[in-house]
Amino acid sequence: MPQSSAQNDSAESQPGVNPRPLDLVERWMQSVITHPAGVAAGIASDAAQAAIPVSPDEVERVVTRSQALDSIERLGVYANAYYARLLECLRDVFPIVARTLGEELFDHFALGYLQKYPSQSYTLCELGARFAQFLDETRPTEPDAAAAEAGLSPDWPRFVVDLARLEWTVGQVYDGPGMENRQGVLADALAAIPPDRWLAARLQLAPCVRLLLFRYPVNDFYTKMRAIDRADDDDPIEDDLAIPRPEETYVALSRRDYVVRRYPLAKPQYALLAAFESGATVEAAIAAAAADCDLSDDELAVALHRWFADWTADQFFLSVAFD
Amino acid sequence: MNRSLTSPNAALPRLGLPNLGLGVGLRAAHFSHILEHWPAVDWFEAISENFMDSQGRPRYVLDRIAERYPIVLHGVSLSIGSRDPLNLEYLRKLKKLADETAARWISDHLCWTGVAGRNTHDLLPIPLNEESLRHVVARIRAVQEILERPLVLENPSTYVTFADSTMSDWEFLTRMAEEADCGLLLDVNNVYVSSTNHDWDAAEYVRRVPHRRVVQFHLAGHTNCGTHLIDTHDGEVIDPVWALYRLAHELTGGASTLLEWDAKIPAFPVVHAEVLKAKRHMSAALPGFAASPQPRIQKPSTAPAAIPIAGLPLAAPSEAIGQPLHFVPPEVR
Repeated sequence: MPQSSAQNDSAESQPGVNPRPLDLVERWMQSVITHPAGVAAGIASDAAQAAIPVSPDEVERVVTRSQALDSIERLGVYANAYYARLLECLRDVFPIVARTLGEELFDHFALGYLQKYPSQSYTLCELGARFAQFLDETRPTEPDAAAAEAGLSPDWPRFVVDLARLEWTVGQVYDGPGMENRQGVLADALAAIPPDRWLAARLQLAPCVRLLLFRYPVNDFYTKMRAIDRADDDDPIEDDLAIPRPEETYVALSRRDYVVRRYPLAKPQYALLAAFESGATVEAAIAAAAADCDLSDDELAVALHRWFADWTADQFFLSVAFD
Repeated sequence: MNRSLTSPNAALPRLGLPNLGLGVGLRAAHFSHILEHWPAVDWFEAISENFMDSQGRPRYVLDRIAERYPIVLHGVSLSIGSRDPLNLEYLRKLKKLADETAARWISDHLCWTGVAGRNTHDLLPIPLNEESLRHVVARIRAVQEILERPLVLENPSTYVTFADSTMSDWEFLTRMAEEADCGLLLDVNNVYVSSTNHDWDAAEYVRRVPHRRVVQFHLAGHTNCGTHLIDTHDGEVIDPVWALYRLAHELTGGASTLLEWDAKIPAFPVVHAEVLKAKRHMSAALPGFAASPQPRIQKPSTAPAAIPIAGLPLAAPSEAIGQPLHFVPPEVR
């Protein structure tokens, strides 16, 4: 049975008679093992001291030693695992961001993120939910002169934010609701809508369709990086990690047969689908597309016919509603 | 203290729950193999949190597997020892998943995972004393009411002990199981890891726990860090753990046995072959635990518990993470 060897003080308990409240022990241990500067700093932190006021030298009054390890070393097992486990998870969720930044820089951002937004969810699936937001919040406000000298766009951090948004959304589409057991709106169903009702129709996007607007061509970059990852070791593709130049790009994500699909969009296509996403009628959505389009009315009409045929084939629309 | 067995099934071995045989922990890396080959595994254990919110391929795969094999749900976020309130939304989703997959039972760990609204995603130990016991027993009873079935709790691997503890690990586990009327998932690798880390006798632990309440066994590999063991689930089961399993099998009369492999995961047939080794150890002709002493653990001279990287303490070997938990990577084109 463990024995306490400490003298009476404010941090002392009497095992079996007056143990410390469980709540305080848990708050203390959590503060200690999640402190970014390590166990000793964690013990000295305000949060830990508020729960159990012991110094690192007195920690055996809370956690006993073993024959091989002292109390701080034993707490270190949990402290080491805390960040290592969560960093590994973030690398799994954002593999291409991690490869692009390199291990050291990715870990730097990820550690900052875990400190600002520690997990409050029962599931690790939510761990990266605010990572892109964190990167955006902590993005330098001044242009990066050193990056410019190195040939990079001075606002390259925005590229990383975009890439993180893409990878996070891929994961959301993968495990979110899909159309595998549902029938979306078919091309025939659209064609059967009387012309006088067509313009007033509202097309509801399938729950797995996500529309993304980026400041950088991250979808192409993502494709290139995946090709590098998949390349045969005997026939590798050149590992080109150069950050591309800024260019506004548009992508739809969806899912078929439980596999996430990426659809690069032209600007008017994005405008059309975004209008549907916000609940607009076909008339308003086409007007939004036309506003962002160099095509003539006739050319746009032909293009619209083709787009709707493609999107219905890919189950982009869940339903059609009329006012 | 009331030590009576309150459930009508409490007097039966395994609380009346079936011995499902030799099973394997369901991991995303094996999804395609299982759907293609339908291997002759007795049953699968699924990590509850990986599926309870899934509306994509992970849940699709689990549903297909549940059509052909018995499923048991094994959670890592119940946090039965936490002083935070029970997460009722989590429990509602857990019950729904168990109902929809016809889960034979639901298990989690005797631990807490976070407090003050946080989740460390680790299985953290509690002081083993009367206050903790009262707290945990009351929570188990509440969870069992909500889930409408017995809860099965696992002994976790632990790396610290508390000055405020007043009872041994096996004594706490025994009183908890009897007073809460719950089942036990005896992880014999965790018994070995914890006993080594805390300088107590693993065989004594296995002899002392209430054998009739052992519903399931866990087997796994671990990492010997020289000064301590870490429950890394990254390799084969070592002989002393098999010896403990043999002892536990004899004392309990046998129970559902599950192999966990969570890091450096090999091909499915390798994992399956590992759990099938358990058949050999069900034979009384093999040597007992006395033939497999505890490992030698050194007092550290040079091996630090932490190596500072970028100003932060990280695990020395990156794979030495206890109870590794995995995000399911998406399939994308």
